[in-house]
Amino acid sequence: MTDILRPRAEDQYAAELAALATGDSSPRPPNWRLSPRGVVSYLTGGTLSDGTVIVPKYIGHRRLIEIAVATLATDRALLLLGVPGTAKTWVSEHLAAAISGDSTLMIQGTAGTPEEAVRYGWNYARLLAEGPSPDALVPGPIMRAMTSGSLARVEELTRMPSDVQDALITVLSEKTLPIPELGSEQRAVRGFNVIATANDRDRGVNEMSSALRRRFNTVVLPLPATVEEEIEIVTRRVAELGAAIEMPPARQPAEEIRRVVTIFRELRAGVTTDGRVKLKVPSATLSSAEAISVVVSATALAVHFGDGGLAVADIAAGITGAVVKDPVHDAIAWREYLETVVRDRAGWGGLYQACRELG
Amino acid sequence: MTSGTATPIADVAEHVSVHLLGIRHHGPGSARSVVAALVDLAPDVVLIELPAEAGEQAVISLIADVEMVAPVALLGYAADHPEQAVFYPFAAFSPEWQAMRFALAHDIPLRMIDLSLAQTLAARSLDHDPDESPATGPPVDPIAELAAAAGDDDPERWWDDVVEHRSSAEGFGAINEAMTAVRAHAPPATGIEERREATMREGIRAARRDGFHRIVVVCGAWHVPALADQRVAELATADRALLKGRPKLKVTLTWVPWTHRRLMARTGGGGGYGAGVSSPGWYAHVFATRADHRHWFARVARLLRERDYLVSPEHLVSATRLAEALAALRGRPRPGLAEVTDAAAAVLSEGRVGPLDLIHDRLVVGDDLGRVPNHAPMVPLARDLATEQRRVRLKPRAEVRTLELDLRLPLGRSRSQLLHRLWIIGVAWGQPEDGRGSSGSFRESWRLTWEPEMSVRLIEMSAYGTTVERAAQARLLDRAGSTNVLADLVSCAELALLAHLPDSLSPLLDRISGHAAQHVDVGGLLDVLGPLARIRRYGDVRGTDAAGLAELFDGVVDRACVGLTAACRSLDDDMAAAMADRLTATQGALALVDHPARIGAWQRALIEMATGSSMNGVLVGRAVRLLADADAIDVDEVAGALSRALSYGTPARDGAAFVDGFLAGAGTVLIHDAGLLGLIDGWLATLPVDTFDDVVALLRRTFAAFEAGERRHLGELVSGRGSGRPPAPFGWDLDERRVADGLATMAELLGIRMEASV
Repeated sequence: MTDILRPRAEDQYAAELAALATGDSSPRPPNWRLSPRGVVSYLTGGTLSDGTVIVPKYIGHRRLIEIAVATLATDRALLLLGVPGTAKTWVSEHLAAAISGDSTLMIQGTAGTPEEAVRYGWNYARLLAEGPSPDALVPGPIMRAMTSGSLARVEELTRMPSDVQDALITVLSEKTLPIPELGSEQRAVRGFNVIATANDRDRGVNEMSSALRRRFNTVVLPLPATVEEEIEIVTRRVAELGAAIEMPPARQPAEEIRRVVTIFRELRAGVTTDGRVKLKVPSATLSSAEAISVVVSATALAVHFGDGGLAVADIAAGITGAVVKDPVHDAIAWREYLETVVRDRAGWGGLYQACRELG
Repeated sequence: MTSGTATPIADVAEHVSVHLLGIRHHGPGSARSVVAALVDLAPDVVLIELPAEAGEQAVISLIADVEMVAPVALLGYAADHPEQAVFYPFAAFSPEWQAMRFALAHDIPLRMIDLSLAQTLAARSLDHDPDESPATGPPVDPIAELAAAAGDDDPERWWDDVVEHRSSAEGFGAINEAMTAVRAHAPPATGIEERREATMREGIRAARRDGFHRIVVVCGAWHVPALADQRVAELATADRALLKGRPKLKVTLTWVPWTHRRLMARTGGGGGYGAGVSSPGWYAHVFATRADHRHWFARVARLLRERDYLVSPEHLVSATRLAEALAALRGRPRPGLAEVTDAAAAVLSEGRVGPLDLIHDRLVVGDDLGRVPNHAPMVPLARDLATEQRRVRLKPRAEVRTLELDLRLPLGRSRSQLLHRLWIIGVAWGQPEDGRGSSGSFRESWRLTWEPEMSVRLIEMSAYGTTVERAAQARLLDRAGSTNVLADLVSCAELALLAHLPDSLSPLLDRISGHAAQHVDVGGLLDVLGPLARIRRYGDVRGTDAAGLAELFDGVVDRACVGLTAACRSLDDDMAAAMADRLTATQGALALVDHPARIGAWQRALIEMATGSSMNGVLVGRAVRLLADADAIDVDEVAGALSRALSYGTPARDGAAFVDGFLAGAGTVLIHDAGLLGLIDGWLATLPVDTFDDVVALLRRTFAAFEAGERRHLGELVSGRGSGRPPAPFGWDLDERRVADGLATMAELLGIRMEASV
């Protein structure tokens, strides 16, 4: 077990799920392991009456988790939207673990995801030997979820080609998967549903057809609400990533992380933290994930080539690269930010100089 | 009997019962409960928490008028100081409104038992601090706080749970008990709050004395414990002592139309009904349909379809089911505003913000406009205007006349300010003539004519304020709040100056600076620099917030300079010409306020343009010219730039555009600088024929813009017949004798006769 890099959610939190299931007397939708209220408790955390502590899986708006769970309970498919680093996948995995006890029925959407991944494939040896038969059919995750009445997950739905995405329409509206080769169909058992995640701000995504979009309820997962919360997340993830690649941590990263997070939040929001200066918003995503990568690469530079402390120049290069994605519009937004905000902020002179030198 | 017992508390001896209906101001659930309770109780008098004057003056009976449509506001103001005023807004879902309508419809006497407005206003004008003791006033929305304590974020749904599903007496009893418990831990009322409750107790005593038997009191739930029978009896003497000898003002009341949106604003402290309602449209829906969420989604769908969002019946089914599931999940008896909003977000808006904002703006808030009867008393705004008209000695007359104002004289200034203020609130008594915004001139010309609609307009505008000055200020800020166009905002700021509304200038400037930051179009930024520079100079005279303005101006200059080069790239000829004029205007604006950027960032930006690539020639030329005018580059550099623009490597069209931009519509610079004239002349002379054809039209346009005298002078210079100046070494040195020979030969070949001179 210790060799497993990352255990599945339903294994890692098996004790919590069991305790919740025991104490859960509210009505459960067919084939659900927990009641909707139990699922919300599992995700948002708390202490049960028997003393079991439920670790919060999602820190943020309880409201959003309630909408997500209520959506699944009303038999509508759920689409989790958000920029990178907003815990979409994390939420979807834990929802599946809590509701179906199985988070593994998952399709990862990529530009190369074929329609077979969404529907079913064939065991070609048997197909050639026996012709089309139920035994030669290799069901995909969706089909298996339909058979068992559990949740299927589609990660990064919008990265799939549009025609592959649309293969989901029949499944979602008719709750059935036709198998024309066998002249039959797989009808979904009660409890089946789909959770998809998508990122609507990145480039390289395929717009969902409105026919498909209509079949989902959409929950937008926001970026962390407060600067402290975001600093916490960035600091923790930087440490984790560093540990995973056995890189020693940089000295005194706290101040620089605060600075990176502050800059990203201000540019994202289009206004400074004190609310006094409005700013242009660059086209770059500037999510917590980008902030993490800026700090990680600066740490790598500091540890391997520098004196072990985060250097302003490294941070500056990382930030500039993350902010300026469009050479004209973003560059103006960034220069304006430098001139109107960074220049006059106490203690930020070094960063201002470093950024100016980069152009 | 203790003060904690539920109402009604019957006084057996006298067969008098006092029923305290503790309501939530603007609570639709309360409104419904109050009507139900009134039907049940059949009172012989209804006492309302409104200032005593409302009962004495005839305005209350207007509520029953068919032309009276809520939302409206009862406006009370000091007769001599209309700027001291309190609004009491009512919507159809306001419990007091329903109670008053009920009483009027059933001929039940109405009495107003709150502290008289005269005292409230007098207290306010005497004390420098209008809130004598803010800590002991009632909380902004005590019912909402009770609901929150009970775990419901929707006070109206909570109210329904507690009150609606019981009989009215029991329901109000429960609210009263809860509030008694809350007030047991709150500090006792002091200051004006104490006097208000004393007055209300006195009102109840008076009703008893006057022989009423079934007395109903409609008041904010917070006050109920203070009005319970026991307190009424205990405190009789103390109350009278407390209310003795308070200063008073003469107060006048009238009605003004209100809107749902304005219900959101907080109305005056002390007298008005405290907090605004954050969701008036939703409350109207709750009152009309008992919060039927299916009906709500149908309205949402209609709204979204009007705006071309796709909403199918299936969407509505899903939204309804999701709202119900959310209510169940949250342990609520039925969907409230939070649930329908969440469901609309998840199902109908598909992750977009637009539809949600639309729903909030049009349905949750809404723009329902009320109406008041024509025979309602004159509004203070109209009174104030009459006073102002006397002050500036202008009578409203229907016939058209023209008024010339000299702004150097105090009277002229006052008149101009009044006319501008009226202009802002849409009372176009004076129409400005000869174009607006000529703040540089000391003369203004107005065409005056008073039309009857303007009186109606004054009533409509009363919601903005009780004096012309305040109404204009509020209206101007309102207008600025609803526009996102930078130029409009700046013109609002200019109006603020012209109408002398200095207090509104600083919020306007804040908004402008906010928008300037997000303004992508550098041209738009440059356009506002001129007006801003004028405001800055004109404003200095009037002692406006110079620091804020300077900061804003600097910000716009910074942003404009940063984006200038990028914005000037790849413009077509017309856009480039417009931009070139903006550059000149901007340099002028910077000079007007003697801004440091004139020799700093602005010059650097111009240099970048002058040396940059893929820039329209007009702009390069203009940048060089402006730099030369500002002495940022010397004559040699100018000559160098001109020479580069006119050299062989530059396409001739660009060269001609450069000349156009450089000369900027006047030829003086060429008359005084023979070197430059020589460069241009030489370039023209060396152009191949087809290229010359290409540029001649452009150059003709350039030179046609010069004044005739300039053109003649230049012509003389070029032809070497300058007045007294030595002929400059223009172009090729032509040897006239040789040219004549060549011409003669050609003429002979072509068989034509030569004129005597070339």
